[in-house]
Amino acid sequence: MPPVTPESPVDKVADKPMLRASNLFCERDERVLFSGLDLELSEGQILQLQGSNGSGKTTLMRILCGLNDSYEGQISWYGEAIEEQTASFFSSLLYIGHRVGVSKALTPLENLRWSCSLRQQTSEEEILKALAEVGLRGFEESPCYTLSAGQQQRVSLARLLINPARLWILDEPFTTLDKKGVDLLETLLQAHVKAGGAVMVTTHHKLDIPELSILSLG
Amino acid sequence: MWLWFSKLGSPKWFYDLSGKWLPWLIGAMVIFLTVGIVWALLFLPPDYQQGHTSRILIIHVAVAGTSLVFFPLMAVAGVITMVWRMKLADMVAKNAAPIGAWFSFLTLATGSIWGSVSWGTWWEWTDARLVTMLFQFFLLLGVISLRSALEDPDKAAKACALLSIVGLINVIAIKYSVEFWNTLHQVSSSVSFSSDSPNGPEFLIAIIIMLIAVYLFLSVCLIMATRNEILQRERRSQWVQNLVRLS
Amino acid sequence: MAAEQTSTLTAFYATLKRDLLIAFKRKNDVVNPFMFFVIVVSLFPIGISPESDRLSEIAAGVIWISVLLASMLSMDNLYRADYEDGSLEQLLLSPHPLFFMVLAKNLSHWLVSGLPVVLVSPLLAYMLNLPEEAYTTLFCSLLIGTPIMSLVGSIAVALTVGLGSRGLILAVITLPMSVPVLIFGTLSVQATLNAASPIGLLAIMLAMLAVAVSLAPLASAAALRISVN
Repeated sequence: MPPVTPESPVDKVADKPMLRASNLFCERDERVLFSGLDLELSEGQILQLQGSNGSGKTTLMRILCGLNDSYEGQISWYGEAIEEQTASFFSSLLYIGHRVGVSKALTPLENLRWSCSLRQQTSEEEILKALAEVGLRGFEESPCYTLSAGQQQRVSLARLLINPARLWILDEPFTTLDKKGVDLLETLLQAHVKAGGAVMVTTHHKLDIPELSILSLG
Repeated sequence: MWLWFSKLGSPKWFYDLSGKWLPWLIGAMVIFLTVGIVWALLFLPPDYQQGHTSRILIIHVAVAGTSLVFFPLMAVAGVITMVWRMKLADMVAKNAAPIGAWFSFLTLATGSIWGSVSWGTWWEWTDARLVTMLFQFFLLLGVISLRSALEDPDKAAKACALLSIVGLINVIAIKYSVEFWNTLHQVSSSVSFSSDSPNGPEFLIAIIIMLIAVYLFLSVCLIMATRNEILQRERRSQWVQNLVRLS
Repeated sequence: MAAEQTSTLTAFYATLKRDLLIAFKRKNDVVNPFMFFVIVVSLFPIGISPESDRLSEIAAGVIWISVLLASMLSMDNLYRADYEDGSLEQLLLSPHPLFFMVLAKNLSHWLVSGLPVVLVSPLLAYMLNLPEEAYTTLFCSLLIGTPIMSLVGSIAVALTVGLGSRGLILAVITLPMSVPVLIFGTLSVQATLNAASPIGLLAIMLAMLAVAVSLAPLASAAALRISVN
């Protein structure tokens, strides 16, 4: 079940890291979350963010995604500032936050149809196949409010299977998943980095992946 | 140029500079206010038509003229906040909103008092300027309540900056549509800015003095409030703590 | 796999379709503001006077103000559900210009909550005894005016989407902003009643709509980025 292979970034300069943040500074409610933070993420790498509650993991991820702009410092995507190329950056990025981006009124199929249409052309079969792979066969047409939190999380994970984004930023993707879901996600992560993608993830779950590197906050 | 700009944006620099200017501003304000009020209320010859009622008009026109400056001021500060993220601009904008609301209220109040005598009614919907001022007052209250509703100061700064810019466009739209709606009333208060107006030049000079006085008053209020805000927000910085230790 | 990025137009239609679908599934959100509008209009004759002469004088104003209130109430849902379930973040992270996504959401909101009100307005105008010759003008002015209110209200909704309780703050911000639309909307009806041509006034409203379509989504998009921050 290999996930969709990320497009190989041949058009980009090879020696530049995919994502680099330098000298990041962020404070919230008069408390410095991090200062002088540097990080690099290259192809084939999984970066796990660690830190206690409130240490700024989520904030850092949202800053790197471009959702949060109250920071100082530089973030570059293949050597170019992300503000200069938001469209190409966004099309190579998949972010799943605490709020998984699944509308409760819609069915998994309708949800995915919409979120895929924002990115790249996707056929109905691809969506159905992805839903089957995340274990939602038979739930395609049930409204999401009837699904459990874990199942809703799986709907959002199906996006990982469909979208050929190079960079995944996942905020606590394991929390609501059961044992099988955890295994599935780990396989997905591994396949993604093998294929040259990069992942940034926060979790309290111990990841058993060789390409893993760890960044501790706070 | 850039250096100068970022220096201007530094709260400490503003605090030091405004500290030097403030006594002079207050002095000038006291002189202009005293001269303006005493002259307008006691010595100015009564208007040939309106009699003594015209005296309050001098204060009304000065306050009204001043309260027009708030939305442009807040919108400019808003642009600076959103584009250059200058914190000082937001501190000014934050304090400009309540002062602006107060000035708008004063304009409405003095306008009503004047209207009660010369129009015989405390409120007149057919006066476009009064109605526009009322809605400017409402819009300013909206900005204030948005500011107080948002807890995160950074988010509040940006949100209010945006709302001020939208608000300025809206105030202009309201002004023209209300004028269009009703243009029945007297044009620019019988005060024409030429010396051969029936009221004579004294009247015009009194208004100008009063206008300067009220602008000075506004600047003093705004600067003092901003200085307070600076101390509040920079309370953890070294220079504020030194300042507190010294005093 | 050769995955081609969707065109902005596709994304626009997809977002429009999605919002219409959600509205269709949550009928309450759609029906309630509409019912509110009809009920408010029906209360005026009881509160003011059942005499047909007096009613016909105030009919246009009553309908316009009720439309304003109903539109403001229905706005509350425009971004809230998306904010709460994280769809808004996905929208902000889409490679397409947020301007068009916001426009799609506003259009869907207007189709669902503005258009029905416009369509039912002649009936209510009849109940309020508005002279017949003004029906067309009222209808046209509402047809142009309601999308303006959706677009402008969207800015305030976007600014307040992160707030817990915000029913009244939304009103405080939006209602003063609707003065220009209200003025031209009611003036055009008045003009017709005075046997003058309302075309000029409606043209001004069209110009306002053009300005709103081109500027308001920009402000809404900026406001959403601030709120999600």
